[in-house]
Amino acid sequence: MSNFDSELDASGLNCPLPILRAKKAISALEAGQTLRIIATDPGSVKDFEAFCKQTGNELVSSGEEDGKFAFLIKKAA
Amino acid sequence: MSHRLSGPERRESILSAAQGLFASKGFYGVSVDEIARAVNVSPAILYRHFASKQALYDAVLEKFSGQRQSYVDTIVNYGTRFEDALAGMTQVYLSNIAENPDILKIELHSLLEGNPATLAFFQNRWKSFTDYIEFGLNEYLPYDIPHRERTILSAGLMFQGMLRETLIQKCLQPQDRLVDLSLHEISQELVTLFLRSIGINKTQLSRKATITG
Repeated sequence: MSNFDSELDASGLNCPLPILRAKKAISALEAGQTLRIIATDPGSVKDFEAFCKQTGNELVSSGEEDGKFAFLIKKAA
Repeated sequence: MSHRLSGPERRESILSAAQGLFASKGFYGVSVDEIARAVNVSPAILYRHFASKQALYDAVLEKFSGQRQSYVDTIVNYGTRFEDALAGMTQVYLSNIAENPDILKIELHSLLEGNPATLAFFQNRWKSFTDYIEFGLNEYLPYDIPHRERTILSAGLMFQGMLRETLIQKCLQPQDRLVDLSLHEISQELVTLFLRSIGINKTQLSRKATITG
């Protein structure tokens, strides 16, 4: 299932690197396209919620998979 | 008198007394009895809120983990330029500790006490900086500088050292030598000195220093 346009693996990285790299990756997307992010830092769950709230991008899903955290973000128009 | 506090208020008062005592004496220097005495309750009541001294200590550390949101703010607001985000992170870290120097005291005690879990907790806080610096320098440090790899590896630690010593000067010394500088100015100054010390000046940096995703 690859319902996303771009993917970012931020495993092993501490805040704020996953956020920073996601911000950069999202800037390369068109509005409405999605980015999937994988992270291992437990704090990233709250971080991506806050990030989406502040940037207006949509946090489509956020959950744990195989001990890692996966996020799907849709770029705002 | 003490029985008038609600459960959560009691818990908070124990936590705050424990924080102060751990900060001045370290984990091993404080007993549960002493913490209970400080808030005027029996050890039995304290144990109702915290199962052990370790649980109390963990709860104190847990309270300090709330700074993440601010790094998100920094990244969203400061753009993606390496030095700007680093200065922003530095300012967040400095402000957090300046508001609550107990965390720095607890960290310094923990370095001597050597409890692996506690050391990992503090190491993880610094990892935000060391990771960020290592990753950023890897992206843009010119390939022809001598000892490039070694520089990248040691640069994060050097910055950690600069920042920690600044915090000690700022928060723990009776006379603050940096009293005339705002936390914003100190953050900018630290980053400028840091970049200069690894052979990079800001003009060089601003031409190409963005981190790619």
